[in-house]
Amino acid sequence: MRYDVVIIGGGLSALVCGTRLQRSGKSVLLVSSGQNAMHFSSGSFGFLGRLPDGSAPDDLIDSVINLPEVHPYRKIGPERLRTYAGQTIGFFESAGILLHGDPTHNSYRMTASGICKPAWLAMEDVSLFAPGETPSGGKALVVTLKGFTDFNVPFISSAFTKMGYACRCVEVEMEEIARLRKNPTEMRSVNIARVLEGQQALDRFISGVRGKLKDEDTVVLPQVFGLKDTSPLAAIRSRLPAHVHFVGTMIPSVPGIRSQMCLKSAFQAAGGTFLPGDTAVRAGFDSTGRVSSVYTANLGNTPLEAGEFILASGGLWGKGLEASYDSVKEPLFSLDVDSPRERKEWYDSDFFRRQAFTGFGVVTDESLRALKGGKTVSNLRVIGAECGGANPLEEGSGAGIAIMSAFMAADSILGRI
Amino acid sequence: MKDGYDVIIIGGGITGAGTARDCAMRGLKVLLIERNDIATGATGRNHGLLHSGARYAVTDRESAAECISENLILKRIARNCVEDTSGLFISLPEDDLGYQATFVEACKAAGIDARIIDPKEALAMEPSVNPSLTGAVVVPDGSVDPFRLCLANVIDAKARGADVLVYHEVVEVLRENGRVIGVRVLDKVHGDVKEYYGSVTVNAGGIWGHHIASLAGVNVGMFPAKGALLIFAHRVAKLVLNRCRKPANADILVPGDTVSIIGTTSTRIPYEECDDVRVTPDEVDLLLREGSLLSPSLSSTRILRAYAGVRPLVASGDDPSGRSISRGIVCIDHEQRDGLKDFITITGGKLMTYRLMAEQAADAVCARLGVSAKCTTAQTPLPGSEIGGLEETARKIWAVPTTVQKAAVGRAGSRASQIGLNSDEGQGIICECEEVSCGEIASAVDNLDVRTLTDLRRRTRFGMGTCQGELCGYRAAGVLAKKTGDAPAARRDLCDFMNERWKGMFPIAWGETLREAAFTQWVSKEVLGLEEDGI
Amino acid sequence: MIHNEHIRSSNFEECIKCTICTEFCPVIEVNPLFPGPKQAGPDGERFRLKNSFFFDENLKYCMNCKRCETACPSGVKIADIIHSARMDYGTVTPHLRERILAGTDMMGTLARPFAPVVNAVAGSKAGKFMMDKVLRIDRRRSFPKYAAHGFNRWFRKEKAALQDRFASQVAFFHGCSTEFQHPEVGKAFVEVMNAIGVGVRLMDEKCCGVAMISNAMWPEARKNAVHNLAEFRKTGLPIVTASSTCTLTLRDEYPNILGLRNDDLRDNIVIVEKFLYDMVDEGKVKLVFRQDYKAKAAYHIPCHMEKLGWSIFTRRLLEMIPGLDLTVLESGCCGIAGTYGFKKENYSYAQAIGQPLFDAIRAEDPGFVVSECETCKWQIEMSTGYKVLNPIVLLSEALDLEKTRMANEK
Repeated sequence: MRYDVVIIGGGLSALVCGTRLQRSGKSVLLVSSGQNAMHFSSGSFGFLGRLPDGSAPDDLIDSVINLPEVHPYRKIGPERLRTYAGQTIGFFESAGILLHGDPTHNSYRMTASGICKPAWLAMEDVSLFAPGETPSGGKALVVTLKGFTDFNVPFISSAFTKMGYACRCVEVEMEEIARLRKNPTEMRSVNIARVLEGQQALDRFISGVRGKLKDEDTVVLPQVFGLKDTSPLAAIRSRLPAHVHFVGTMIPSVPGIRSQMCLKSAFQAAGGTFLPGDTAVRAGFDSTGRVSSVYTANLGNTPLEAGEFILASGGLWGKGLEASYDSVKEPLFSLDVDSPRERKEWYDSDFFRRQAFTGFGVVTDESLRALKGGKTVSNLRVIGAECGGANPLEEGSGAGIAIMSAFMAADSILGRI
Repeated sequence: MKDGYDVIIIGGGITGAGTARDCAMRGLKVLLIERNDIATGATGRNHGLLHSGARYAVTDRESAAECISENLILKRIARNCVEDTSGLFISLPEDDLGYQATFVEACKAAGIDARIIDPKEALAMEPSVNPSLTGAVVVPDGSVDPFRLCLANVIDAKARGADVLVYHEVVEVLRENGRVIGVRVLDKVHGDVKEYYGSVTVNAGGIWGHHIASLAGVNVGMFPAKGALLIFAHRVAKLVLNRCRKPANADILVPGDTVSIIGTTSTRIPYEECDDVRVTPDEVDLLLREGSLLSPSLSSTRILRAYAGVRPLVASGDDPSGRSISRGIVCIDHEQRDGLKDFITITGGKLMTYRLMAEQAADAVCARLGVSAKCTTAQTPLPGSEIGGLEETARKIWAVPTTVQKAAVGRAGSRASQIGLNSDEGQGIICECEEVSCGEIASAVDNLDVRTLTDLRRRTRFGMGTCQGELCGYRAAGVLAKKTGDAPAARRDLCDFMNERWKGMFPIAWGETLREAAFTQWVSKEVLGLEEDGI
Repeated sequence: MIHNEHIRSSNFEECIKCTICTEFCPVIEVNPLFPGPKQAGPDGERFRLKNSFFFDENLKYCMNCKRCETACPSGVKIADIIHSARMDYGTVTPHLRERILAGTDMMGTLARPFAPVVNAVAGSKAGKFMMDKVLRIDRRRSFPKYAAHGFNRWFRKEKAALQDRFASQVAFFHGCSTEFQHPEVGKAFVEVMNAIGVGVRLMDEKCCGVAMISNAMWPEARKNAVHNLAEFRKTGLPIVTASSTCTLTLRDEYPNILGLRNDDLRDNIVIVEKFLYDMVDEGKVKLVFRQDYKAKAAYHIPCHMEKLGWSIFTRRLLEMIPGLDLTVLESGCCGIAGTYGFKKENYSYAQAIGQPLFDAIRAEDPGFVVSECETCKWQIEMSTGYKVLNPIVLLSEALDLEKTRMANEK
């Protein structure tokens, strides 16, 4: 089975890259080994949350110069980064995802534990706050659903209190939701979102909130609306006589899942082929060291052949890397991996300090092509969390690296670079 | 003594808790003081092995006899805290099979039912045992949940009128005219210093008993021996597995609750290090290597944590390993030894013999107080262990959804009907790995002296499963914040909790554990933003 | 080497508790009694290993659609864990109803001589009432009709003698539904294979056992599996199938649930769409389609085809048909899951699960639906009124068999 480009991975970077290529006339196949980190993405993207010295960046693109030279952003370069950052909102809009935020400066989003964290661009159900936003002096009604433990009301309300709001916390009780509790795993954001997809349930919820509103000018709600599209968000905003903030829940993330489904649909609508639940298990190389084919668990002896391959397998979490007792390996192509030799250097004994293992990745050349035994594999590019040289979690750069490296890989395959 | 207690017990480990229960059952007015949380010392940091005594049969017959007698008692009074798994002592090709005969004979002499079986029969009984075994002996070993056991003693002591102070550290032992009359304690949560008076004071501080004794001006020499252990993520074996040889490193594998534990090592450490023992990479290697000899499947089983405890052995002689020191009980009335009245130290012994230790300490207390009440702890079931088996208890809460119902009964036993599972809200699950419900969490916070998420973990097993608090820590922090009304403190506590879980994970962070850690890092830092505390 | 062995692929310990599986479970959405794939699978497994007391009979509500496995980013074989647990710990023994529903080949053999009567009774109000009351097979369910003459008989009579002339041969695992209810699938298979110059052999096959697995008839399932694997090894030919569920059972359930190794055969067991596509792709075969063929079809990917990962072959093959306007429906479970939806206690869940699919089909309003699974066919036909064709039947209609034959003659 032959394609122009085969991408190993089905997450953010794979879908962005695949869609861009497919839309430009390439035939693209994605091998997705199960669902991915987008399900836990909190509905907002980070580009660069903090600099290596811990300080907050100003202009995001200008700040990239402070990163180490091996960082993917340095390889992409400031000029292209600025272009790509400018294209991001438009790209996502074309996939049905409306993002807001300043492409070159951070705002803040509130997390499920009531902490404000730098954010670059966010989906419409994520409220962004400007840095140093002045206290409103308003009154906020923090609403949750009875029995929902993944939206920590005390944390959220204390954060809004700190921002200058007078907060009141209420629970909305609904029969449809109570029914979920018969099932031990059911009181999660996505289960509630499924119930609230129903028009009647949503109506009842909205009137429930209206009934609790007194003189509050702001309503704070968990992100449990709109699994398939954003119409429930719009309904809530239009029918509640107050400003509405949606705040993240514990995973899974409803906006994250929606964004994944939208991107996947966009890719398929463009004509791309998506292999769900399959795993690339071995690869073939030709005599010049180029990748010639990839075999998967399901397709068995049917090879996937292509001129170009992209590795977007998500690093350690996505099983794009495997750590054994004494080494870290890239399992599919046996590529060079950027990780300390000694296991004791993989981690810090303080959970909240920088962990080296969250930055493990494949070593790449200047144009994000993989290195194998120190030599460039000329038709294999590495994007997203699989790409070495960065510590996305530490930097707050995961989504930014995924999108920027996806654009760059696509453009370089399309001969635009 | 001025409006004080009959007895003040220092130390909320199993010995202190057991002594508090015993004294309370004899009608005494009891105060139990613990500087941290209950079961934080050696009590919560061991194998959880319900010894049959076989392990000590050859080297220490007295301990062996105590073990088998207590083993049978615990199976009766603490059925919800112990499991009668039975155990195997296996010989491998490199072991001297001749030791088996010595071993069985010593077991018999100590009253332990030890039966030699064919290696094939052993493999049939326990398919995960090393198939190259050359001999096997069945003994009545089992497993015990030390947190649950300690908690049951505390619950019962409180139900019988005892007062319990956790996070209270004894800073001074008050003396007057050659008598100990009470203690001065620091309330570690609020920072106040208070005095409590008691007719008799019991030092049940385990390894820290050395320090408490010194506060009273007497000397109890302790021998701190560190033991490291590994927890595997599920039950690899149904039976306890031991090596049939002289006790050595990493030769016991215990199936405990939902996990398996391999251990231990034994290394002498300076007394100052007792509060912060860490597992070294060498110890991890040794435990894995030796453990895989008992059950080869360990080498392909996910490891959950590494941890270490300090055995509270009483110093004698100069054995550098501490293995040949008697595990026997030491009960000192300091009047007889040091001329200090109304001060008793109970130490040595082990988890297995805690009840007997408590009995001896309570006897000594009663003797000083002139109380004639006899010990009844060997006959009176602990709370949660009163009636019937799992099925019978489960029927009492039949309306609760099956998952929650069964897990709750497994943990709380006959107390399952009293832990808030009746409401819809109580039936929601906080910890999915260990299936701990909202009701159990809330009820523990309300009734079981919980200050932190880590305390809550010891009460309920929440956060002890495969994900190690990754998802449930946040949920439980919400319950705690609601109760206390202090959200920032609950969030700081959540950070401490995640760090406490990480402490056990990083020594074994590779494979699935590292992958889990990468996910946990993502959830804590990216989704929850916990590292940005204070912005 | 310390701890370097990789945890075996079926191991529940690869679960990192991400909860993705519960999002994709079609059952928990409609039935709160089912504890969900994560709890029933890897979470519950730790408890069951501790004590069989923790086994929950509600695991029976899992319909083994495997959508959880397809979604799992950790490769945990969740449904296999659930079904193995039912096998290891379940105490409920299969009743008459389970034996009837699962005994697809035996029941077929018994029913066939009386096909008109059986069909009439099973389709009558009184018959449905009796089945509902006595067997707890839901009365609202339409029963697939038994064909009066089986596929085997047709093959022996019409085709068997003609197969020797082909140089290349395959063994056709036709499955129970082809034999008893839908012989047209087998006929289409033989016509297409012969047209591309491939001869067809039948084996002494027994039911793949999937219905026995879901109805807790483990010894029976195992017996059939052992028999079939021996047959496969005996023929040495590629084993080609036409039903996605049989295929998944032969390829994955035999080793993963029944514990029977088939590594030597794994790459040799293929559904006909993959077989054909590979032949075309490798240039070994040419397909010539009818110029006058015009149709609008909607392709429903059965859960087990999704799990096999082979819908891509069907899709690519059907896309070769010039006159076919093909829509691929969003992948979702139809709700029937073999015998699951026949049971009275599951009927309403099954229909609720399938509702989004039924709605999507109605919105699309195709000429017919295409699907590789016979029980999906029954469910969709009953619930929407749209006709469902096996892709091989569609292919046999769209192909110009004569021209294809000539194009492939050496």
